[in-house]
Amino acid sequence: MNLKKARKRLHERCAISAVISNVILAGAVITVSFVVLFWAQYRSSAYNEQYSEAMNADIAKLKERLAFEYVFYDKANLTVYLLNCGTIDNVTVQTVYIYFSGNGTLVKVFSSPTLTYFNDTQIADQDLDRGEEGCFVLSPLSLETGVNYSVRVITGRGSTFEYTFIT
Amino acid sequence: MSTHSSLRKDLRKLIANTKGFSSVIGTTFMVLVMLVLATSIFLWTLSQNTEYFQSVKEKNQLEVDRLNEKLSAENVNYTASDDVVSVEVDLKNEGPLSVHLTTLWVLDTTIRKYGFNDTLNINLQPGEKLSIKGTEAIKVVIENADNTHVFSSWFITTRGNAVPLEKEGGLIVAQVSAGIGSIAMDFNRFKYYNVSKVGSSYILNNYPQGSAGYVVIQPASGGIAFQVALTNYDPSKRNITLYSGSVLFTIFPVMPQQPRGSMWYIVNVNANGVISNTYTPVNLTYGIETSVFFASAVELKGSNTFTPALASYSGTAPVNLALIGSLGNDYYGQNIPFVSIYIQG
Repeated sequence: MNLKKARKRLHERCAISAVISNVILAGAVITVSFVVLFWAQYRSSAYNEQYSEAMNADIAKLKERLAFEYVFYDKANLTVYLLNCGTIDNVTVQTVYIYFSGNGTLVKVFSSPTLTYFNDTQIADQDLDRGEEGCFVLSPLSLETGVNYSVRVITGRGSTFEYTFIT
Repeated sequence: MSTHSSLRKDLRKLIANTKGFSSVIGTTFMVLVMLVLATSIFLWTLSQNTEYFQSVKEKNQLEVDRLNEKLSAENVNYTASDDVVSVEVDLKNEGPLSVHLTTLWVLDTTIRKYGFNDTLNINLQPGEKLSIKGTEAIKVVIENADNTHVFSSWFITTRGNAVPLEKEGGLIVAQVSAGIGSIAMDFNRFKYYNVSKVGSSYILNNYPQGSAGYVVIQPASGGIAFQVALTNYDPSKRNITLYSGSVLFTIFPVMPQQPRGSMWYIVNVNANGVISNTYTPVNLTYGIETSVFFASAVELKGSNTFTPALASYSGTAPVNLALIGSLGNDYYGQNIPFVSIYIQG
């Protein structure tokens, strides 16, 4: 009797197709949902990473601070003495601009000058850690005597520090 | 058919109906996904922003601290010898924060050369004073530096501030020195002592406290010694050397036509207050106050040895300080009519 019923139900095509179609649809929706979830997670983590990098760079930049101890010009050499008085290590000097402080005319640009300690020993890692002092020499540089010049130091993280001196 | 049974029938029908089931699941999933993602991104962004603003706050605090740093560096004195410039200065932390000095820069503006000392490790608490003098003077190497040169200098603090060293009243002192002489005396440190003989030596009683020199109670025997604090303010910062002929003498107006005098020649006194029998020239270094003693009845030169001296008279007497010596490589003499004294006994 039961066997008969089962056989009969197998032959009821309409009912079977409704169940199967529902199962297939539900499975497809779940699968697509998971795919969307993973894709969204991947995209959001990529965004997080980018945002985090940008934010950390900004924070590091904020922590940078260089003090000019002394700037001395003599015989075509400009020596700039610096102190890292910020709260972050590894401050590098990327670019140095020299310009007239009066009208802002650019005189010369120097890239990645060699950092040395005050005793003229070269700094091995070419950066200034917290509380560390260092200097670099810009040469050759022809400046007029008795004129106000400015030296602008751009660090590796993009911070800008400026100092005005008289030759 | 009642309304209640009709509603039950509709509900049963709705539950039995499988159409749209997948849409419900899909929507639920999507909502969950969106909620999870939005919440996590919001919280994470919030934490990043908090971190950033914390850094901004710290940066602002550092700037405020840097601006609040207030250190005064006055009474600076430069002494150059053998390419080494010794810098003496009085420091006072007048700000609310402690100050750490890392480097001293000295610029010899006469020859346009500079030097620095980056081995300083000076900490000053708020309100703390520090006098850097004598052997503690900060040394900076500058080739060919000379006492006659003009210097300027500044300290660098850990916070990155530059503190200039100032010469308080330097110009006034220089102008006065040029007008009345290069030696000045401190009126508050004019003292006298009774001289006693202990064994074969003469000593100053109650040394180094002594008594104010304006009223002198003369002992019946022994002698009197005077101590004056002299400072060399030569505008050219040359050394002054005092010879044995330097004398402190008084004139007593005993009678209008016959004033009487008493005199005390320059002597050397050691750290225990013992007077030397002979005299070694006293040097007055520029800007440094030096105590000079006058106690001998005779000039200590040749075979003369120390002889205690008393005032021959009593009463009020003007005092003159007649100094003879050298200023740099030249002879120099200066008479300082400086105080009056009253001799009792």
